[in-house]
Parts: sequence; C-alpha cells; structure tokens
Amino acid sequence: MAGFGLEWIQMSYLAEVDLGSSFRPFGALQNLFGFVPNLFRAQTLLPRIIEAEAGLAAAVLGKDRALPRSQKELMALVVAAAYGDTYCFTQQHQTLCSLGVADHQLDQIVRDHHEAGLSRPDTVLLDYALKLAMAAPWLSGKDINLLRDHGFTDESILEAIVVTGLTDFFCTLSRGLDPPHDFQPRPIPGSSKAPQADLRSYAGGTAGPYLPTVELSPERFPPFALFLERFGLIPKLFRAQTLRPDLIEAEADAVRKVLGPVDILSHVQKECIFLVGSAANLNTYCVAAHCEMLRTMGVSMEESDQIAVDHHHAELSEADKSLLDFALKLTARSSEFDREDIELLRRHGFSEKHILEAVAATALNNFFNTLQMGLGTTPDYDTKHVFGPKEAHLSSAVDRPRERAQLDPDAELVGRVQNGDLDTFEELVARHSRRVYRTLMAIIGNVEAAQDAMQDTFLKAFQHIGEFQGRSKFSTWLVTIANNTGVQRLRERRHIESLDDVPSKADAEFRPRQIRAWAEDPEQLCSQAERRELVERELMKLPVKYRVVLALRDIEQLSGQETAEALGLGIAAMKARLLRARLMLREALAPHFVSSAKRTGP
Amino acid sequence: MITCDEFMADLGNYLEGDVAVEVRRQLEHHLSHCQICQVVYDSTLKTVKIVTDSGSFDLPDAAAGPIKDKIMARIRKKSVS
Ligand SMILES: [Zn+2]
Repeated sequence: MAGFGLEWIQMSYLAEVDLGSSFRPFGALQNLFGFVPNLFRAQTLLPRIIEAEAGLAAAVLGKDRALPRSQKELMALVVAAAYGDTYCFTQQHQTLCSLGVADHQLDQIVRDHHEAGLSRPDTVLLDYALKLAMAAPWLSGKDINLLRDHGFTDESILEAIVVTGLTDFFCTLSRGLDPPHDFQPRPIPGSSKAPQADLRSYAGGTAGPYLPTVELSPERFPPFALFLERFGLIPKLFRAQTLRPDLIEAEADAVRKVLGPVDILSHVQKECIFLVGSAANLNTYCVAAHCEMLRTMGVSMEESDQIAVDHHHAELSEADKSLLDFALKLTARSSEFDREDIELLRRHGFSEKHILEAVAATALNNFFNTLQMGLGTTPDYDTKHVFGPKEAHLSSAVDRPRERAQLDPDAELVGRVQNGDLDTFEELVARHSRRVYRTLMAIIGNVEAAQDAMQDTFLKAFQHIGEFQGRSKFSTWLVTIANNTGVQRLRERRHIESLDDVPSKADAEFRPRQIRAWAEDPEQLCSQAERRELVERELMKLPVKYRVVLALRDIEQLSGQETAEALGLGIAAMKARLLRARLMLREALAPHFVSSAKRTGP
Repeated sequence: MITCDEFMADLGNYLEGDVAVEVRRQLEHHLSHCQICQVVYDSTLKTVKIVTDSGSFDLPDAAAGPIKDKIMARIRKKSVS
C-alpha cells in the first residue's frame, strides 16, 4: 500500500537532506549502478550509513573475481522477486538489461528459472540463492556440495552467499524506507507460482562450517583487531570468510558505522534490534552472539532470553517495545510493513534519525543472518535456544511476502492482470463489486454517487495494479482505494466534514447513556427490511469516520488488522474508533430494541 | 475489582477478543457484578450482530452486471487509446 494516497505522490517515509555532489559514496554508487539509486538518497540523514552500504555493495558486486556481475545480478533479481520487492526487482531488472540480457528472458527466469533455457550450473545457483533467501533454516552441507558438483569454487560459493545476503539487506531497506522508484516500476511476473515446497527440504548431512578458511592474524588484519576489541573474540562468522579478506573489511566497516556510534540509538537498543531480528529468522548463532553482547552491557541472560522469545513480557519501556515491534515486523512480516509503522515510532518520540538507524540496523541484521545461514558456522557462545527446521514448522517467523501472497485468494488473478491479461480484471470486478459498493455507500450514502465512485475505484485499481505488491491482501488494497475515492467524493459534495486521522481523545471518552436492558432476541422485534432501513438511516447520521470503520469491520467483516490497514490507522487507533462507533450506533438503536419495546417496528 | 471506567477502557479490546487471560478474568468478574456494564456489553454485542445481519448498503443484483460492463468498457477504451 506504500506510496498509495489520495494524491499519488510518491515520497520516501523519511526526510532527506542534500549531501552535495562531492559526497564520495555517491560516486561509488554511480560507478556501480550508473546512477545513485533513491534507496540511498532516502538515507541522507545519516551519511555514515550510506558509506557503509556503498562500501559493502562495491566489495560484493563491484569486483569480478569469482562470479561475473551478470550472475550476481541474476541471483539478486530472483531473490528480490521472491521477496515481492518491486523496487529492488525493478532496479536489478534495469541493471541486467544494461548488461545485455533480454526483457522476455528475465521475465521467464523469474517465472520459472528451470524453464528459462539457463545452463545447469546457473539453474543450480539460482535454486541455492532462493533456498538461502526463503528457507535458510533448511540448508545443509548437501546444498553446498551440489554447487561444488556443478563446478562452483569455494570462493564463488562465498560470493553467492554474500550476494544473497546483500539482496536481503537492500530489500529490507526498501521495505523500511519505501524510496521513490528510479524507473517505471515493473510488475513481478508470475509471483504466485512459488516453489516453496521444494525449498523446504532438509537434506540432512554435514553440519557447517561449509567453506575452508585461511589463517589471518589480528596484528596484520585490522578488522580482526576490531572484532577482538569489540567482542573479545573473532566471531566464526567472519573467520569463515577469510577466502575474501576484502569482504570481511567491508563488513567490519558496516559494523563500525552502523553499530558503533551511540549518538542516535543506544548500543543496547541496537543489540536488542539484532536479537529480536535474529530470533525471528531462527538464527541460533546470531541469537547467542547478541545475548552475549547484551550481557557485556549489563543485561542478564534471563532478560535477553525473554527479549528473544517475547519482548513484550520483558522489562522494557513502552518506547523500546515499540522499537522492537518495528524491527520484528520489518524482519518477519515485512509485507505488512507500511507508513503507519513509521508513524507509531514517531508517536513514541523517535526522531527521523532514530527511525532510519532502526531500519538500517534491521537490514544489516538480515544481511548477517543470511550470511551465517549460508556459511553454517557453529555458535561462538553457549546457546540457550536452538532454532531450527523443527521450530520453523511451528512458527510463522519465516512469513515472507511470497508465502503471504499465496494466502490471498486473488493473488493468481492479480498476477495475470499484472502480466497484461485485461479480461481477467473482469473476474476481479465481479468478485469485489459488492464489497466496494457497500464501502462507498457507507461513506457517500447516495446510490448514484456511490455507483459512480465504484467505477472510479476499479479504474484507479486497474491503472495502479502494477504497484500492488501483495503487502496486503488485494481486497484490502481495493477497499483502501474505495475509501480514498469515497472520502474525496464526499469532500467535493459537501466541503464540510474533516477526517482527522489523529486518534482524538473523544474516541476513548464516550459515555453510554441508554442503560435499559435489550430484548433477549432483538432481531425478532422487526423485519429484516425494517432493520436494514433503520441501520442505514442511523449509520448515515454518524460522522463519516465512524460509519466507515463500522462498514469495514462489522458489515464487510474485515479483520481488525485489515480494517486498520485500509484506513491507514494503527491497530489501537482503529480499535478506539471502532468502539466509539459501535457505542454511538448502540445509543441510536436502543429505543427500538430495549426489552419493553413494542413489536410495532421502528 | 476494577471500576466501570476501567471496564469501558478495555471494552474495545474485549469485544475484539484481544485481551490477556488475566484482564479477561477481571472484566468478566466485573460483568458478573455490575448491571450497567452488563447492559452496555450485551447491547453492544447485539448492535454488532444487527449491523452485520442487516444487509445494509447491499448492491442490488440487477445493478451489478451493468456497472461491471461499464467499468470494463472504460478500461478497454483506455487501453486501446
Ligand atoms: Zn460497571
């Protein structure tokens, strides 16, 4: 639902500043991509973070050592598509086109890379990237051996792991910041057909670490000296990458620039973000590492264990809990992440820079989690919790966008329309016209105007269907458009009612006045037609914001989460408004349904 | 024992089935002792049911087809031009 408002103006979630043309990381990014992607411009509030990211990107993508650039970009493309990230997908698509790969071939690769005429090694490489990105807890040594069997060297396997991690990093940033598109956004082809079942096969076999290492001494290799100073040891996660010291250098630089400073978020706050993110990713290694880091900062093992398992019951301030809610959602349910999550942090007093740093820390955590899963390193510290495939089956923590898309009954039809099948849209109109009409009637209250607005709603939906990314269900997205369209119409018609989205105190302070008991079965007191007329009439007397919330929750019977999404509200604000609306309607209906009411109808 | 104001403050979450076990116990204890909150709770539940069952604002069957055709005609016209 990102970027989708009344005015269709797309802006990133956070403020930007001008760093001038001499800002060096922008030069590096320019070299790498041919331009400076908006993903990085959206982070100008904290230049040190852009420096870290540009350094990582240059080390991972910029050097033609083991894997050629086009192979790396292809991995990034299928992973971004699997995450349902239109921004990153579009950018990788553009890069691959500039490297000379044909449009239609890219679409076919994303739809099904097994049927795209790729070489066997390329196919195996993409299989691996998808499994690492989507089902990392199911990886084992056998997956690595399969790559070796197809001619991949240890260094190229290391590159494949780091490229996949970097894609997770950038997709998380894109979800958390929602940068404006650099190019005409490209719909992700055929994303409803996902090979989830194949990915979740656990071959068993050898435990990690999977790749050979070489000896690097901390005296001669500064990053290791940094780790010794910071962690008291050199984490195996970094030791496992000694085939490529330049990668370790870039990663150490990112650790220093994102985690080092305490001018914005504190060390404890950042470690907690890493901890809840790692737990959500079922990463035993990283959970143990961050529990240990927190212990050195004075947080007991019991306390950090509680934060990893359920931070809501940990002894944290409400602001810190909301910060961890934010990181957890961006990690595990990023398809549901939107502007409201940013607003929630603002309401808890976090500044733009705080929020940016929280997004960057969450993204960097995903990067390291993916690396660790790919490298298979054993923990540096004792582990209290072992997260693995068994727990993954019980947990929804690996709920990535593509899996959610499969839960949406409209996903397949929407995918077809996105691929240019116009006739299929008719089926979507048929499925949803009643829902859209009822929503519009509840807002506008006039049959002709509502039918007119209904046409506009579906036209807008069709025009913008390329932007629909499955972050919410299609039906919720459609109701959002209906709501926006209806409110706009109403404003044009009346110029009076305002819909302030700030939860007003009045929402909470409504006092019931009618306190006579209602009849046992009030619906027997009048006919269906009479009840409908009564409800419609009394609903239309309520202010528009109350009748909309009632229409979505109690007439459409959307879930609480969907209602909040469609209205662009937080759950708490939606609930306060809903209760107020129900209580107001209750007052209006009471005279007709109290137990002494005569059976004469309203 | 919680007060009526405290009950009202949690009523929204209670109706949405979104309260912790301990809070639910307190709310239900209050309900069993307080006639007024009992009436408010009961009649609000009934209000929700009446609204849901009312069929309000339903699109008449006869109107659905023609509107769909108009929408598709406008879309086809746009994508041709
Ligand atoms: Zn009471």
